[in-house]
Amino acid sequence: MTLRTRLLDQAVGRAMSTLSATAKKGLGDPALAELVVIRASQLNHCAFCLDMHLALARKHGVSEQQLDLLAAWEEAGDVFGERERAALALTEAVTVLTDGFVPDEVYDRAAAHFDDIRLAHLVGLIIAINNWNRVMVGRRIPPGGHTT
Amino acid sequence: MGCFAPRVEIMTTTDSTDSTAGTTTTEYTPERPVRLRWAEHAPEVYKAMIRLDTAAKQGLDPKLYELVKIRASQINHCAFCVDMHSKDALAAGESVERIIQLSAWDESRHFYTRKELAALELTEAVTVLTDGFVPDEVYERAAKHFGEAELAQLISAIATINAWNRFGVTFRMAPGNYQPGQHK
Repeated sequence: MTLRTRLLDQAVGRAMSTLSATAKKGLGDPALAELVVIRASQLNHCAFCLDMHLALARKHGVSEQQLDLLAAWEEAGDVFGERERAALALTEAVTVLTDGFVPDEVYDRAAAHFDDIRLAHLVGLIIAINNWNRVMVGRRIPPGGHTT
Repeated sequence: MGCFAPRVEIMTTTDSTDSTAGTTTTEYTPERPVRLRWAEHAPEVYKAMIRLDTAAKQGLDPKLYELVKIRASQINHCAFCVDMHSKDALAAGESVERIIQLSAWDESRHFYTRKELAALELTEAVTVLTDGFVPDEVYERAAKHFGEAELAQLISAIATINAWNRFGVTFRMAPGNYQPGQHK
């Protein structure tokens, strides 16, 4: 498994960073943001992204138990609250589009926990990390080397 | 955006020997409302997406990128995006045949150049990440037709249409009302 290329157009990188930062800011919940970003990175198998965001999650005070059980959050009892579960269900639906759409029950559940503005930013964040996942996996960027 | 009334098509048959001749009305199901006008609720996110879109297509052949956008939108089932990019491709002079054959490109390779095929194959691999990575053979085939910087840019561009697809599907943006060139 070797690196393919580190090239990334500067304007693309800047726009992606802005996209992530504005979405995260609008969501207004840094710990939840990291849970969402890590779950998407697990689904997309992005090693670089997992390495970086696990470090960030710890920095934002996400518990080791939540990080350990994130891949099985649905079966993890009360380790995750209803708001977190609604966000994680939405993350999975928006990330795995190729199996078909975002079901009404998943969308409505998220809409019950997040107002329109936060929901728009939550989806923006899920999409931003999906974008990073593709750009990192596509170029096979190895884990490590981030500045967190 | 959108009127939610059912589309109605009226067909008139004029064959006088046909006893069923007359007017038949086909009523389609009504258009579903958009879930949320996300760009109005997250204008800074929308602005960042526009900047990303502009940056990601720099240096790419627009004709090739339009094919990539249609194929990713098909795989992600983004109805709004399929509508938009098919219309844009047609308006830019793309052939109906090449657009129709895109969903079966692997069996209709003679409609496309080797470079286009390599880009389409890479598009599928980068789009369907949840089934596992981007295979070496797919990346290497693309690397034969694209220089290193251009290939990195193609990956960014594929990621970007994936981003639009996710907004379109999640917020149920309605297809059918797009006019070619509207979002250029």
